[in-house]
Amino acid sequence: MSKTFMLEPDLIAAGENVMPELNSDLVLAKNFLKQQSAATADSLYDHLVDIVQKILTQKPPDVVDNFEQYSWEVKHEKFRPNFDLLNDVYLSPPQLALVRRMDEMFRLVASKSEKMDEMGEEEQELDLEEEDTKPRIADLIDNNYYFKQAGYGLPDSECYALYIALNMLGIKEPVATVRFFGKIFGTKANYYVAETDLTIEELDRRIREFEMKDMPGEGEGLDEDRVQEAEEQKEMVGEGEGREEKPKEPVPPKLPPIPVSTWQPPPPIPVERPGQGVNKKVFWVCNNPGDQWICLPDVTPDQIRVARLSVRCMTGDLDAEIQTFPPFEGTERNYLRAQIGRIQAATSISPQGFYTFGSGEEEEDIDLEEGAGDMAFNPNPFYQGHTLKDLMDSNMMYWVHHGRHILKQGRTIWWNPNAGMEEGLEEEEDEGPPPMEPETGPPLFTTLSEDARLEGLPAWTSRVSSKLTPERALVTMRSNVWPGAVAYATTGKRSECMYVGWGLKCQPPNFSPLQLPRPQDEYIIGPEVMEMADPTFADEEAYRIAHLPPPPPPELPGEGEGAFGEEEEDED
Amino acid sequence: MDVHKLWAYKEYVNVNGFMLSSELISLLQSSLTVLQVENHFTHMQYWGQIYAIDGDYHIAVGTTRDAIADRKYYYTTDFKFWGLLARPKKKYKQLSLLTTFPFRGDPSLKIKVLDEAMEEHHPDRCQEMQEEKRLAATISNICDEAEICARGQLIKQPDGTVVINPNFYGLTGPEAKLLKSYLHVRPAQQRWNSNLLTRQDYNYSMDFLDSIDQDIPSGCWNLSLEQCGTVAYLKSLYWPGMSYFHKVKTPDAGFLYIGNGKKNFDVPFLI
Repeated sequence: MSKTFMLEPDLIAAGENVMPELNSDLVLAKNFLKQQSAATADSLYDHLVDIVQKILTQKPPDVVDNFEQYSWEVKHEKFRPNFDLLNDVYLSPPQLALVRRMDEMFRLVASKSEKMDEMGEEEQELDLEEEDTKPRIADLIDNNYYFKQAGYGLPDSECYALYIALNMLGIKEPVATVRFFGKIFGTKANYYVAETDLTIEELDRRIREFEMKDMPGEGEGLDEDRVQEAEEQKEMVGEGEGREEKPKEPVPPKLPPIPVSTWQPPPPIPVERPGQGVNKKVFWVCNNPGDQWICLPDVTPDQIRVARLSVRCMTGDLDAEIQTFPPFEGTERNYLRAQIGRIQAATSISPQGFYTFGSGEEEEDIDLEEGAGDMAFNPNPFYQGHTLKDLMDSNMMYWVHHGRHILKQGRTIWWNPNAGMEEGLEEEEDEGPPPMEPETGPPLFTTLSEDARLEGLPAWTSRVSSKLTPERALVTMRSNVWPGAVAYATTGKRSECMYVGWGLKCQPPNFSPLQLPRPQDEYIIGPEVMEMADPTFADEEAYRIAHLPPPPPPELPGEGEGAFGEEEEDED
Repeated sequence: MDVHKLWAYKEYVNVNGFMLSSELISLLQSSLTVLQVENHFTHMQYWGQIYAIDGDYHIAVGTTRDAIADRKYYYTTDFKFWGLLARPKKKYKQLSLLTTFPFRGDPSLKIKVLDEAMEEHHPDRCQEMQEEKRLAATISNICDEAEICARGQLIKQPDGTVVINPNFYGLTGPEAKLLKSYLHVRPAQQRWNSNLLTRQDYNYSMDFLDSIDQDIPSGCWNLSLEQCGTVAYLKSLYWPGMSYFHKVKTPDAGFLYIGNGKKNFDVPFLI
């Protein structure tokens, strides 16, 4: 049977009279596989061994479909750089720097709480007084739990670290209340924002500082500037005249004087003092929980005005330059503060009755008329909560704003620009701007139903967190104007709002930058500067005739008469 | 995001403060698993939400053989009925970018879209569009411009089909910091060799998609590493609400869009 057909090697072997042997074939094949590659000094044999070994130890599924990938990975592993050349090279994980800072923060908070414990044990009676000096920190973890029920909030890891960071802020800085405002994304780093009230002493200090800096300085500086400008202009005019005298022979035509700008900058709108209006709260930011909290400066009305006219992403660097038109005064620090101020004014909402004017404990008679824009309010101890149906009401009558509306002026309390000038105006008659209508915004605790709509889209969307278990459900309000702003309210006594987003307002259809203002007129429009058609010959003649010298007296001899008559004929 | 891994990914999802609530995950998993079985999908992914006034749309994607060509999109408002979205026409993709009206929440609603670029009295200046078609077109636009995956997550097999790589081990730390390591999930628009050869360690089975560092203007993608540098987040400035996360050195990654379906044309002013 085996002799019926012979294979080719057999034939050759038979011819050469050498018997083939399986072992020698194997050795030949193995030698070929073990040939070393000149470039890598690796051999296919070793490679296959490694692949088989890797596949058998790791036992991945469907190897045959991804065999090339496996082969590539085995090679990749071989060419890993060898760090064993030096004995003790340890690459620390990249988290180290961050962890160090976190650790420092944890230590600080832990030591403080220990100290508090000791104090508590020693002086039980003084505990009550101690409470007063201790800052009130809003319970972020608790609120985050509710937010998460509704599908919003921060991840747990972030939330806890942040809560400790808020505690650190309370320990290190002179603040009375601390609340987590939200998170603002930046292109390079993100900002966590804490909203605080200062302690009374610190607030007093800042108000004094503000008054020292602001009141006497501004007026003088401006006056000096103006005087200087005027002097410069005078000099320029003077120089022009002086030059005219030098070249005596060709006398240049007499030029009208260079026009003087009659534009006067509108009076600067004064900044609201610390602890009032837009600067009622003080905001602190940090890039990572554990970093130093940095206090944001107070916002000026002008910054709010410019921020409204521009869009820009935060970068994550507080000293980054802001390039906008109209120009923005300050760095990203100020811009961030302006945006936070706007967001806070527009998206601080709570169920009706959650906050109340005054302390709420005694029923006080409060004049809403007087200073309603800047009234203090406190949580209402008598608040009982609303039903789910009320909170979900599509008219949103049960939700109110507790953020103060920022007027077009960039302040929450209207400042009368004419107040200082009134006496002057009476004397000078009505040359100045007409007295402005006082601006008024919606008062505090206006319902959300009053909010402006965006192209058919209501400013807020309400959603219920659970359809399956209404007894556990809570209501969330999502802002469509400031995407990222949400608020929740349970049917019980809890409510909170938060902002996580880019700090950009939704402006349909699109943002369009402010156009440059029209150029001003250089000269007063009058007959000298108006363009008009050149007079024709007939017009000139008519003018000449109209302006002829009066006819000579009749006593003169006839020659004159004749000449006059000839001329007349010519004209016709 | 893979529907069966939603519980594991819950901690990483963060789109403008949005997280997946437990009820949402439970509802999604139960209804999408049924959908997967009915349609014989190999992979079922939760794609995201599109906000509407009356009720939000939830979108899911099923893939059968090819991870790019054979994608089917479904939408629902109540988690009971999932409607299949047809492949959108080019006309609707254009119109959906023009309209500024919000979604209503009613798929059969017809809206009128005015194309101001056209001259007056042109018959196509004012066109009607059904909300279902608009939804399909919006999703398609977002997928074309903002849906991404990490390099190596999708591989092209020798027979030309694209599959989800079962042996994806994740990007390494330094790789995760580069925009070049993230690729658009769409049929490639650049030349195949420019995608391949701009890389030192090119790989025919991985580098067949466009990488996002080519997008204009540079800076329209925001890459941030969080949680001590272990999770990479990518956000698109053009589509606020889009978010992609990838846990470094693990196969965990997911794409999610939660927003109002409006493209942000202000990007040049933002950066």
